[in-house]
Amino acid sequence: MPPRTNLPAKLERARRRLWQDAGDLRLDTSPAAEGGCGVVGLACDVPVAGRHLMHALAQMRNRGNGKGGGVAMVGLDAAQLGTTPRVLREDYLLGIAYLDAGVRAEVERRFLEPVFEIDDARELAPAVSGHAALGLEVRPPDVVLYWARPRAAAIERFLAGGDLAEGDFPDRRALEDELVYQSSFRLNRELYAGERGNLAYVQCHAKDLLVLKMVGYAEDVVRFYGLEDMTAHVWIGHHRYPTKGKVWHPGGAHPFVGLNEALVHNGDFANYQSICDYLAQRQIRPLFMTDTEVAALVFDLHRRTYGYPLEYVIESLAPTTERDFAVLPAAKQEVYRALQTTHIHGSPDGPWFFIIAESGRDAWRLIGVTDTSMLRPQVFAVQRGAANIAFCASEKQVIDAVLESLAAADPRFWGRPDRYWVARGGSHTDGGAFVFTLRQRPEGGRELVVTDKFGAAVASPTGGDTATLAFPNGGSGFAWRSGGRRSRDCRHSPQVANGSGSKKPAAAGLPKSMARRSATPEAYDRSTLRASDRSDAPGPFPARSATQETGPFPPLTQVLAALRRWSWQQASSFLDELALEARVPGREVAVLELLTLLLDRRYDPGRLRRSRWLSRLDACLAGVLADLERRPTPAFQVHAGPAGGAAGQPRPDAADQTIVLDARRYAIEGEGSAANELVALYRHGWRRFLVANTRGHRFLGCGFGPATEGVRIDVYGSFGDYLASGGDGIELHAHGDAQDQVAQIWKSGLLVVHGDVGQAFGYGAKGGEAYVLGSAAGRPMINAVGSPRVVINGTCLDYLAESFMAGDPLKGGGFVILNGVGFDSRGRLRELDNPYPGSNLFSLASGGALYIRDPFGRLEASQLNGGEFAELGKADWDLIRPYLEKNEAWFGIPVSALLAVDGVECRPAEVYRKVRPVKLRALQAEEAWVGHRG
Amino acid sequence: MTDPTARGASPELIGKVTHYLHQGFSALAHGRRELPPALGDARWTPELILATWYMAETGQVPTGGLEYRVGRSGGGFDRLDFELLPEPAANTSAMAAEDTSIALNRRGSGAEITIPVPFYGGGMSYGSVSEQVMLARAIAAARWSTYMCTGEGGYPEALVPYKDNIITQVATGLFGVEERTIQYAPIVEFKYAQGAKPGLGGHLLGDKSTTAVAKMRGSVPWVSLFSPFPFHSVYSVEDHKKHVDWIKTINPRALISVKVSTPADVDMVAVGSYYAGAHILHLDGAYGGTGAAPEIAKKNIAMPIELAVPKVHKHLVKEGIRDRVTLMASGGIRTAWDIAKIIALGADGAVLATTELVALGCTRCSNCERGRGCTFGLTTTDPELKEWLQPEWGAARLDNLFRAIQGELRAILRRLGLRSVRDLRGRTDLLRYRPAETGEVA
Repeated sequence: MPPRTNLPAKLERARRRLWQDAGDLRLDTSPAAEGGCGVVGLACDVPVAGRHLMHALAQMRNRGNGKGGGVAMVGLDAAQLGTTPRVLREDYLLGIAYLDAGVRAEVERRFLEPVFEIDDARELAPAVSGHAALGLEVRPPDVVLYWARPRAAAIERFLAGGDLAEGDFPDRRALEDELVYQSSFRLNRELYAGERGNLAYVQCHAKDLLVLKMVGYAEDVVRFYGLEDMTAHVWIGHHRYPTKGKVWHPGGAHPFVGLNEALVHNGDFANYQSICDYLAQRQIRPLFMTDTEVAALVFDLHRRTYGYPLEYVIESLAPTTERDFAVLPAAKQEVYRALQTTHIHGSPDGPWFFIIAESGRDAWRLIGVTDTSMLRPQVFAVQRGAANIAFCASEKQVIDAVLESLAAADPRFWGRPDRYWVARGGSHTDGGAFVFTLRQRPEGGRELVVTDKFGAAVASPTGGDTATLAFPNGGSGFAWRSGGRRSRDCRHSPQVANGSGSKKPAAAGLPKSMARRSATPEAYDRSTLRASDRSDAPGPFPARSATQETGPFPPLTQVLAALRRWSWQQASSFLDELALEARVPGREVAVLELLTLLLDRRYDPGRLRRSRWLSRLDACLAGVLADLERRPTPAFQVHAGPAGGAAGQPRPDAADQTIVLDARRYAIEGEGSAANELVALYRHGWRRFLVANTRGHRFLGCGFGPATEGVRIDVYGSFGDYLASGGDGIELHAHGDAQDQVAQIWKSGLLVVHGDVGQAFGYGAKGGEAYVLGSAAGRPMINAVGSPRVVINGTCLDYLAESFMAGDPLKGGGFVILNGVGFDSRGRLRELDNPYPGSNLFSLASGGALYIRDPFGRLEASQLNGGEFAELGKADWDLIRPYLEKNEAWFGIPVSALLAVDGVECRPAEVYRKVRPVKLRALQAEEAWVGHRG
Repeated sequence: MTDPTARGASPELIGKVTHYLHQGFSALAHGRRELPPALGDARWTPELILATWYMAETGQVPTGGLEYRVGRSGGGFDRLDFELLPEPAANTSAMAAEDTSIALNRRGSGAEITIPVPFYGGGMSYGSVSEQVMLARAIAAARWSTYMCTGEGGYPEALVPYKDNIITQVATGLFGVEERTIQYAPIVEFKYAQGAKPGLGGHLLGDKSTTAVAKMRGSVPWVSLFSPFPFHSVYSVEDHKKHVDWIKTINPRALISVKVSTPADVDMVAVGSYYAGAHILHLDGAYGGTGAAPEIAKKNIAMPIELAVPKVHKHLVKEGIRDRVTLMASGGIRTAWDIAKIIALGADGAVLATTELVALGCTRCSNCERGRGCTFGLTTTDPELKEWLQPEWGAARLDNLFRAIQGELRAILRRLGLRSVRDLRGRTDLLRYRPAETGEVA
C-alpha cells in the first residue's frame, strides 16, 4: 500500500462539509445509558446457519432486557439472499432500515439512485406475521437490502469539491469506501437525526456484511427476519440492556457499523464525552447517541482513515499500562507510547468488551477486545476438526449452547471446544485481544487463523482423531475382568450381579504396574497416573451406600492404559459397554465414578482428540443418568422435575441416597430455578445431589444456609455464575470449568473445581477450603477475610488476593497456594511460563499469605504492593502440605511432582515462595492503650 | 488480649460516668439560654442538637423556643418551608390521627411490609458504632415496627432477637455478609455508595479495628479496613441484576433495597435498579456520614439530597414506575421537618442515622474515626467507652425521638390539610422558600 500521509488530514477537511451543510439536528444530547449486555460471536470456515445461535441467545436473555437486540453476519450466501455470488462479493450491501415506510421512495430517489448503480435489491420480509406474535413492543423496521456500486458520475461529483483527489487514496476501493461512508452519513443525518425525526437509517454499508437490529432480543431478530436457515461465516448476536429512556429505538441497538466492520459492546464508558470530543476534532460525529456507536467510529477511524494494523487499533482502544508496558520490548514501547499519547482521549475508559466483525478486503474477521482492567466477562474458545470454529462470548455456556446445536445437526462439530480461555486487556502476554481470521485459501474455501493481539498464533490441542463418523459397535476389546473380555451375556448374568455387591471390582487382577510400564518417561506423567491409583484417594463421587462397591469401575488406570491404544471405534464401544455395565445392580455408582474421573482428570487420550472424547463422555453420562431415571436404585433417584409439583417432591429412601436433577427441566435463575429446587429438596431431607445437564444455571449451591455440613453437590455440564456463592458447610464438586463469582462469601465447607474459575472467585470469602484444578480469572480471593484456604493449580489473570485480610495463616488464618502448573494435551503437568503474569499481587493485603510455586524465581517485587517475599519456613510447609496432599487426591497432581523441577526433587523452600503482608503500620494509639492496660 | 470486655470499665465507673452524662444531656436540653459555645455546626446547629436531646427525653418537640425545625446552613432544607394553613383552620382534633405509614414493597408481589412511620434507621456498622448502639437502635426499631440497618461489619449475635426489624447490608467489602445473616433479614440493602463519600469505598481506620471488631469481620486487629469503592462483581446493570438474583436465591422472601449515592445520572441508576428488582431505592445525598467520612468528600462529591430526590421522582413518574417502587432518602435529614420536606420533594420516606446518634448523645464533634475519640461511647468499640451507652437507655431515647417526630409530622400534615403522609409525596407546590436569616451561612 503506498504511503498516504496526507489522506487523514484531507479526509478531515472533506468530512467537515458533512456538518457545514447540515441543517439543525434533533439529537437528544444525552447519550442512552448502556448497561451490561450479552454477546456471542463466532467465526467458522464453513457456513453456519442462524438457528444455531437461537438457543444460545435465549439462554443469555438474562444479560439483556429486551430493549435492543441485533445480529451481524459476514460471509453471506448469495443464493439465500437472492443475488449472485459476484454481486455479493463486489457490491456494497446497503441495509436500510425504514422506520417510516413512506420515505422509501424518497431515499431511493435522493440518496441511492444519484450515487449508486443498484445491481440487486431485496425486501427482507418478516418471517412472522406481525411483531406482536413475537411479543415485541416496538415494530421492527422494514429492511431493504440494496447491492450497489458507486456510479462513476457520483465519484466525479464527490471529487469535484476539491478536498480530495483520486490520487490521495491508496486505491479505488478506498475512495469508494469513503464515498459510501459519506453518503450514508448524509442519509442518517437527515432522515434519522434530523428535524424530520427518526424515519430511516443505514444499518450496514459494507461488502458482504449484514446488520439487523430491533427493539427486542437478538434471537427475535433471527426469528423476525427468518434467519434460521440463513448462513454466514461470521456471526455476532447481541442483547442490549439499556436503562434510560422509556422508548427504545432500533437505531440504538447493536451492532453499530463504521464501514467494513460491525461492533457490539458490553459495558459502558465513563468518558463518552471525551471520545465525542476526540472524534469531533477529527470531523466525526455520532448520530445515534450511544457509547457503542462512538466505539465503532473510533475503530473505523483508526482502521480505515489512519490505516493502522489491527494491533495498533487494539492498543489504541485498550492501552497497555503499568508493568505490562514496562516489560514490552523497547521498539514496541515506542510505538505504543506514541499511540497512547495521540489517541488516549479516544480510548474507552471503563468496563467494556467489544466483539467486532470485519468484512476486510483480504479476509473476514471476528475480533474480541477486552478492557485493560478486564471488568466485563468474556470467554474465547476454539474447536478444530473437519470444520474449524472460534468463539468469543459473554459466557462459556453460550459457546457450549451453539456447539451443542451445531453438533446435533452436523457431524463435523461436537459439543466441547478444544480450548476455552479468558484474557486481560492490555496484558503483555497476549494483549487480551484475539483475532479470528478467515483467510481465502488459494484452492478455495476458507482457513481459520486464530491469533492474539500481537499476531502470534493461539495454540489449541489439535492432536488426535476427531472422528466424524458413527461406528459399528465391534466391541472395545477392553478387559472387563482380569480373565479377559466379558461377553455381553456374561455381563448380565446373575452371578455378576450378586458378586458385585461384595467384591472389590477386579482390583486384585489389576496390573498395577501397567501404569508405570506404559507411562511416558516424564516424571510428572508417571506420578500423575500413580496418584490416580492410590488406594487411599477418595472416590470422586462417594455417593455409594453400604451395598455399593468402592472405587470407580473399571479402575481408572486400567481404562487410561487402554485408552492410549484405542481407536475411536474401540473407545466408543467401551462407552457403550460401560453404559450397559451401569445397569448391573449396584454397579452404577462405580461406573459414574469412572465417568466422573474421566471427565475431570487430565490424561493422555491416545489417538483421540480430548475434546471430542469428552463430548462422548458427556453423552455417555447423560445416557447412564437417563437409565437411572427408568430404573431408580438405592443409590440414586432421578427427580421428575418441576412437573412433579410441590406435592410430588420426592424424599430420600436413605440418608445417603443421591437425587439427580436434570437442570434442563429448570429455569436458569429465579423462580423455578435449579438452584431453588436444590434448596427445596434439601429441606425435604436430601443431602446428596447430582446436578446434570446444566446450561448456564446460576446460583447452584446458594441458599442452603448455615450448618450444612454433610451436604454434597456434584455439578456437571455448563454451569453458570455464582456457583456456591455463600456456602457454609456444604461440599460442592464442580466437574468442569466454573464461571464468574464462584464461592463469594464462602464461609466453610469444601469446594473442588475440576477446571478454571472466572472473575471474582472467592470475593469476600470468610473461610472454607477450595481447590481449583485450572486457573482463576481476575480478582480471585479479593477482600477475603478469616481463614479461607485455597489451592489454585494454574495461575490468575491479575489482582490475586487484593485486600486480603485473612489473619495469620500460621495461627488459623487463610492463604492461597498458587502452583503455576498446567497440562499439555497428553495430560502431562507442565510449568507455566510464569506462575503469575499479572501486575498486581496481594495488593493492599493486611493478613493471610500466598504460597506461590516459583522455582525459577520469575515473580518480581514490582508485582507486589503491600506484600513482601519471605522464605518458606518449616511451619509454612507443615501448614500447606496437607492441602497439597488433598489437592493430589482431588486432581492427581502429586506433591512430589510439584516439588520436582526439571525432574529433580527439590526442598519445598526451593520451590515455593511465601508472600506476606508488609508490616507497614505504626502501633495504633488505641492498640497501645489497650496493650498498656492489658 | 482475649476478652475485650474483661478489662472494660468497672460497674461503679460506668454508673458514675453515665449518671453525669445523662444529667448533662438533660440539663443542656432544657437550658435554652446557655448554648454551649463549641457545639454543632451550621447544619446541625446547637439548637437542633439540644432540641433532638429534648425530644429524646420527652417524646415531644421543644416548646420553649428552641429552634427544632431548621438549621442555619443557608441552603437546602434550611431554606425551604411549607405553605401551612392557619392554625385555627387546622384544628381537627376530633378527627383520627393522620396516617404516617408508608409501604416498602409496591411491586405487587412478595412480602407486604408497611412501616408506621415514614423512616427507618440507616446502616452503621459494628466497628463504626458499638454493639450497644446497634442494640439500642434495634430495640427501638422493633418497638416501632420499623427497621434499623446493620451496615457492613457483621451481625452481632445480640441483635438476632430483633432480626425481624433489622435490615442487613451487602456492601462492597462483603464484611459480615453470610448466608445466615442474609436469611435473617426481611430487607437486604445493597450499598453501592455512601453519599458522604461516593467513589471512595468504606473506611474503618486501624484505631477502631479493635480485636472484637476484627474478630467479627475476620480481619487482622488494628489494621485499617477498606471496603472497595465498587463491587468487584458488579460493573453493569446486568451484573447488578445478577447480584440481586443471587441474594434472592439465598433469601427469596427478602425485599431488596438498593442504596446509591447521588451522581449526576442518579435517575438512570434508579430506573436500572428498579428493573433489576429493587423494592426500595435508597438515595444517599451529600450531607450524611459521621466524622469518619473524609472532610474533603463530604458535601463535595454527591449531589444534595434535596436536588436528587425531585430529579429521580420526576424521572420515575415519567417512566411510569413511580408507584411500583419506594424511594427513601438520606444524607442530612435531621428533623421531622426535613422528613416532611423530602417527602414533598418526591421521596416516600427518609432514612435516619446521624439524628439517631444525636439523640443518643452525639455532639457532632467529628472525632468518629478515632478508636477512643467518642467520649459519649457511640462511635467506638473501645471496651471501656462503649459501656457509656446502655442499650435500654438508648432505646428509650430513640423511642421518644420517634414519637416526637411522628407527632410533629402529624402536626405538619394537619396544617397542610392532608390526611396521610402518602398524600404529601411530590407536593412541591406546598413548599416555599424561606428568607435567609441574618448570620446564616449564605
